[in-house]
Amino acid sequence: MFTYLCIDKTMRDMEQSKKTANLQSVVFALIYGATYLPATLLLKHRTFSLPVSVIIAMVPIITFAIFIFKLIKAFSVMDEVQQRVQLEAVVIGFSLTAMLIMFLFLLSLCNISNPAWFGYAHLVGYCWLFYFIGWFVSRKKYGA
Amino acid sequence: MKNTIKVERAKKNWTQADLAKNIGISRQGLNSIETGKFIPSTLLALRMAKVFNTTVEVLFQLDDEEELSND
Repeated sequence: MFTYLCIDKTMRDMEQSKKTANLQSVVFALIYGATYLPATLLLKHRTFSLPVSVIIAMVPIITFAIFIFKLIKAFSVMDEVQQRVQLEAVVIGFSLTAMLIMFLFLLSLCNISNPAWFGYAHLVGYCWLFYFIGWFVSRKKYGA
Repeated sequence: MKNTIKVERAKKNWTQADLAKNIGISRQGLNSIETGKFIPSTLLALRMAKVFNTTVEVLFQLDDEEELSND
């Protein structure tokens, strides 16, 4: 009886820490989004001195780093099926991004890449897109 | 890998959600295991066996082609 009470308490604690970790990762994703977009707009439409520009550019990077840290913490409290789904999503996303960058590099050697479609900003977008493609594929595979 | 999770669940009259809650995973995760799409870790298999008061060998069995031959 005591064993089952302990297991039940452990399960409730795990459930609570999962919820907290998930909530924190969502909050920091929103904070990252709320700093990335204004920083992009500011740097694009206003002219600042070099140090101020660097500081503005660093702000979303710092919030992104915190978001990734929280996301990794959230992964560690996920159940093993969800962890596998995330792992495969990241592998697929990383592989597709690496393939795109290699392809663009090879095209740039013969001057046929188009910066209007494949600038740094677009690469960030494609990176997220590929991660979500990986997530979708993996979720479908495991039915999770 | 074959499993008898559905049978053991039926014996206890548990839904997937009930069992998932008891072993600390998501219902979708349990569904992946029950349908054989995902092979659980030893820890999770032992937890499942414990809540069903049975052994891992009863819950999970190797397919014929997965069995090692004695040759």
